[in-house]
Amino acid sequence: MARLLPVLMLLLSFSPGSAAAESGSPVTVDVGVVLASHDGSTVDPQLSSIQDKLRSMFNYSSYRMLDRQKRPLGVGQTGEFPLPGNRSMRVTPSPSRGEKIRLAVQITEGGKNLITTTLGLSRGGMVLVGGPSYQKGVLILILSAE
Amino acid sequence: MDCTNTIRMLQDGIDGRLPSGESEKFRDHLAGCPSCRAEEASLREVGDLLRLWAAVRAREGEPQLNALWTRVKAGIEEGREPWYAAAARRWFWLPAAAALAVFALLFYPSDGTRAPFHPIHFDVSVETLESDTATVALVDRGKDLPRVIWIIEDAKS
Repeated sequence: MARLLPVLMLLLSFSPGSAAAESGSPVTVDVGVVLASHDGSTVDPQLSSIQDKLRSMFNYSSYRMLDRQKRPLGVGQTGEFPLPGNRSMRVTPSPSRGEKIRLAVQITEGGKNLITTTLGLSRGGMVLVGGPSYQKGVLILILSAE
Repeated sequence: MDCTNTIRMLQDGIDGRLPSGESEKFRDHLAGCPSCRAEEASLREVGDLLRLWAAVRAREGEPQLNALWTRVKAGIEEGREPWYAAAARRWFWLPAAAALAVFALLFYPSDGTRAPFHPIHFDVSVETLESDTATVALVDRGKDLPRVIWIIEDAKS
């Protein structure tokens, strides 16, 4: 039994149950800023993996990646992501259980609160926030966390 | 020398292969015999044409001959090259590829900001959603598509 103990400990360290203990571990927040418009008909190569989804959800003809920011954030730590058009997004990971990640998200425009939301998602999940107008189209923010 | 002998010797006479005594008799006969002279002239003309044709054919085949010679020459020179020359020629791209890889590693963003998006799932719960200045809609089109929070800016619409 004494010989098996280290093996069991090693196996337990890789088991899914250990994720609960990792719920306080840093979350890498990935924000892609996309300009969707009817100006042209090109899709940015960086969006190739999700272009079918974008096309099936929206009726814009052009999707151009303006910016991409990726930042590791600890629980309670706020990351500020500047957005085009004097806008800004603040993301704060909140305490959560298991594999789930909770993100408090606030988007402001010129100091005014445009949207405040709390999202619950598993690692590797993705949500889109769209609508704010910019240049000849609208902004679509691709928010994912790992 | 009679006509029969002269005709028989005609080719050797033209080629200058007759012994000196025979050659004199041959030339004497030709000087006095129009028929043999005509035959000799005709044979010379055929010889000239054959030489001309051979020269033309040789010129036509010159590029092929040159290419063949180039290959032969390259083969000869390759045989003279040092033992490492062939290996160097085969692996010459390796330093260039290594330099390119180092260059890419130095200048490619390490934070993954150019990597494509690879969402694992779209299972996202929106626990709270509010806005002071806009109308907000939550669009859910099934588990295969991402959830969308759509902001309709009141002041601008």
